[in-house]
Amino acid sequence: MKGNRRRHFFINKPLQLRYMLSVTVPLLLICCVAIFGFYIGIWGSVLGAFTNEAMRDDLLTASRMVEYEQARYQTAHEGFSLLSLFKETEKLGQRQREVFHEILNETNRAIAWKLLLLLVLTAWGTIYVSHKIAGPLYRFSKTFSDVERGNYRTRIFLRKGDEGHPVAKEFNAAIESADRLLSDLKTAAQNPDQAQALATIKAKLDPIKTSADV
Amino acid sequence: MFRSFFIFFILVTFLTPCQAEAYHPTPEEIELITKIEKDTLQYFIRLSDKNTGLTRDSSRSGSPSSIAATGFALAAFAIGGSRGWIPHDYAYNRVLATLKVLKEDAQHQNGFFYHFLDARSAKRVWSSEASSIDTALLLAGSLLAGQYYPGTEVETIAKELYERVDWKWMMNGSKFICMGWTPESKFLPYYWDSYNELMLLEALAVGAPQNPAPPETWHAWLRPEGNYNGHRVIYASSGSLFTYQYSHAFIDFRGLKDDGNDFFDNSREATLANRDFSLSFAGKYRGYSENSWGLSASVGPGGYKAYGSLPGGATHDGTIAPYAAISSIVFTPELSIAALKFFYNNYAENIYGNFGFKGAFNLDKSWWADEYLGIDQGITLLMLENFLNDGIVWKKFMSLDAIQKWITLTGLAGKSDENASESPSLEVATPTASPLPQ
Repeated sequence: MKGNRRRHFFINKPLQLRYMLSVTVPLLLICCVAIFGFYIGIWGSVLGAFTNEAMRDDLLTASRMVEYEQARYQTAHEGFSLLSLFKETEKLGQRQREVFHEILNETNRAIAWKLLLLLVLTAWGTIYVSHKIAGPLYRFSKTFSDVERGNYRTRIFLRKGDEGHPVAKEFNAAIESADRLLSDLKTAAQNPDQAQALATIKAKLDPIKTSADV
Repeated sequence: MFRSFFIFFILVTFLTPCQAEAYHPTPEEIELITKIEKDTLQYFIRLSDKNTGLTRDSSRSGSPSSIAATGFALAAFAIGGSRGWIPHDYAYNRVLATLKVLKEDAQHQNGFFYHFLDARSAKRVWSSEASSIDTALLLAGSLLAGQYYPGTEVETIAKELYERVDWKWMMNGSKFICMGWTPESKFLPYYWDSYNELMLLEALAVGAPQNPAPPETWHAWLRPEGNYNGHRVIYASSGSLFTYQYSHAFIDFRGLKDDGNDFFDNSREATLANRDFSLSFAGKYRGYSENSWGLSASVGPGGYKAYGSLPGGATHDGTIAPYAAISSIVFTPELSIAALKFFYNNYAENIYGNFGFKGAFNLDKSWWADEYLGIDQGITLLMLENFLNDGIVWKKFMSLDAIQKWITLTGLAGKSDENASESPSLEVATPTASPLPQ
């Protein structure tokens, strides 16, 4: 087991770096947009409300009115709110918390469709990026199967922009070499002169290293 | 024989209920209490509209006027004028101007004023309800002012305001008085059906010259009994200290017996229970100590809440409202004065300003109120005046025909008749303990 452990993070550094960049950068961008949206959306609303002095007074008075009512009529306690995650809300009045809760909900609604769009874009981006890797891997796999079945005329054809072009090129060169060798062997085998055919085959196979040479 | 007599003497000495002696404040204490009362008066002078006389609910910017605060303001101006702290004519004219606005301009429904009015136009704001309890506080202040200026236009208008109230209408066909009415929702689904600050409202409703509430409504409300740390209390659901004080700012309950219940003693027991309750949490909240107590409805770090103790709701978070302990001064003079001195000597920098003590503080959250509330200042001023000035507010209010009618119709009479007809000797009324300076 120990021998199979990967010792290097970067097996194919350019490939992995490109992949990381193509995944990480969009994710970072998405996070930044989301955080920026939340930040601007929520605190923009809050600051907007409180920057206006008259509105702030009204908000505080409205809070107080409800608090008076609740103190006098002993109305039901509020349920769980996302605002309770913020320690700062401990110092807010109940009505103030309600107002902030409404602002939070409004902001959430406003950015919900943007998040949905981001989600779709992210999904598409991920598929697009992964397709450039998964597609070649599929073609590699199919070609290996063809070779296993004895089809040495098969070649790997990748789309422009796919990952793995160098590997495919090398593999195609290798399979082409094997194809050529096998073709030569096949041609030699068809020579009526058995001795010459055997010599030719032997000459072709001599440089080839196989398990039988051990 | 001698031994038996000695044992009997010891038993009598230690087992007979103690006759608590009146607390006599020192000249320094009287000076401080007077200063606080005078400073508290400034709230009503500065925060009542110069034209309408309507008083702001809070010193906070943007606060509307409150009719309850305005009621306290009317009383405060009359008291301030009588004490010579403000010129007599100035006080009289401000009271008269306010009453005229209340009579002619202030929005009301069947005599019940809306809880919050615009201080300039006297029109309803914030969709507030035509409030029964707040109207009662306003009328109490008006009628008290009338007593300070007998035979004047002030007394006349105060009575007119009182007479136009339709108390039966506010009962909405029930045996209780409804808490309020709005044009949008009509009668609120809440009634004054259990003990709290309702007694002043009930007294004015039953004793009213026009459209009074039937005397049965006085007996109808629930008197739930509870016990905390040996203090038996007919308690309010919130357990807030103010509920045991508001009615007592105007009405002298000493000697009035309600089926054996003495509501003055009840408020004293409630005050002691409230203090004991907060003391039991002294280890948890830094703001609670033997001289720092008073759990009552007030502003707090989380907004305005009905803070209170057992028996009752017992909502508390370490927030202390100075007005609560101070306004119990007629019930627990020694303890209240000790608290008052403690607050002033230790926290004046944070909690004391031009208008007296601010709303509340919470040491655990390093929170200090930056506002004064009109009703907090009002109850403080009236209770301090009763304490300092030989129960003058009680004497004037108890001599109202309406109050005498309420006492008679509800069978509370007893000694109170004597109190009202003569100068209500506080010592006679409470042989066990007069909280006031004699």
